[in-house]
Amino acid sequence: MGQILFVMWRETVEAMLVVGILHAWLAHDPSGRRGKKYLWLGVLAGLALALLLGLGIEAMGSILSDEGQEYFQAAMLLVAAALIVQMVFWMRMHGRRLKQDLEQSLSRSTRTQHWWGVFSLAAIAVAREGSETVVYLSSLAMGENGFASPRFWLASALGVVLAGTTFYLLQLGGKLFSWRIFFQLTEILLLLFGCALLMNGVEKLMDMQLLPVLKSQVWDSSMWLDDGSIFGGIVSSFTGYRSRPALMSLLVFSGYWLAITGMLKAPRFPGRQ
Amino acid sequence: MAVNPLERRGMLNKRWCLAFLGMSMAMSALAAGEDLPVFRLDCNNGVFTPKQLLVPAGKKFKIEIYNTGTEAIEFESRQLRKEKALSPQSNSFVVVFPLEPGEYKFFDDFHIQTGQGSIIAK
Repeated sequence: MGQILFVMWRETVEAMLVVGILHAWLAHDPSGRRGKKYLWLGVLAGLALALLLGLGIEAMGSILSDEGQEYFQAAMLLVAAALIVQMVFWMRMHGRRLKQDLEQSLSRSTRTQHWWGVFSLAAIAVAREGSETVVYLSSLAMGENGFASPRFWLASALGVVLAGTTFYLLQLGGKLFSWRIFFQLTEILLLLFGCALLMNGVEKLMDMQLLPVLKSQVWDSSMWLDDGSIFGGIVSSFTGYRSRPALMSLLVFSGYWLAITGMLKAPRFPGRQ
Repeated sequence: MAVNPLERRGMLNKRWCLAFLGMSMAMSALAAGEDLPVFRLDCNNGVFTPKQLLVPAGKKFKIEIYNTGTEAIEFESRQLRKEKALSPQSNSFVVVFPLEPGEYKFFDDFHIQTGQGSIIAK
């Protein structure tokens, strides 16, 4: 029970964090509502892709070479990281006057482009964790009693409940807190998560030897927070923390935050008043 | 005949895809051609056998992972930067590039309490 709860929680929360925050942002402004359609279409596309990836894992192996799959995953991770950062800064730039901008100056094409970004981000967020959920669920379904197995239904129900709760809390948060605080908090969450995705993507490239590792371990902080432990693992998948970072990972991590803080200070992205 | 810019972009994309495909095929051919030392790792509902793999340092090698249990597993190692979900009674492999001497931990992300193991590179 504890194990099912933990796996389903972790697999659903990451995706719902992204989807829930985007939804709350879009719902905040009446003119953002048009984007919701793209968000939900993205979620559907993500679910379809997750099913394909999850159920077809054996078939995928024969179609796409092992390297091909790695490239595909690395690309998904890097695109998602870039989209998250782009989304955060787009909101900073336009969000404050989104309605006005949409009615006046902002051209239709930038808007449509942005909505497609929303679509892709939702699709990737759902597909990434969803494919693992599908493997997990299908193994429970194939278990002793097949689809009659209580564990399968328990896990599925938990997944739906946890995803729904995360989503609901985020919508509630958007209403309970002042919009400014909510926006700032979720902005930080997304930037942290973007860093985690970037680290994963870059490490895939290092693993394929497309990027040099430089030095395999700069330090070992696993006695304080071990990224292989339960809690450390969660911290690591939401922030990109590594307890034994390679030099290249460390450079990417620092580079990311230098670039982000630089951009946050830039007058082009004033944030919200 | 003039090619409209949109079409040209499509062609460019296609060319990139082909180059990309060619490169990945060449790389997989390379990987298949090499004789890699292979280490077998069994995982039965979150219990790894062996719990420790001894591998030569500074050499590329392959780990074949067999899920012998009735539940799905996810072989994961942050230090080795690997992640692989496996359904019951299936197997797969990961190729690990040369390691410096030391201990590298891995775990089963679907059974994190029991599924812990490590690779010792010497």
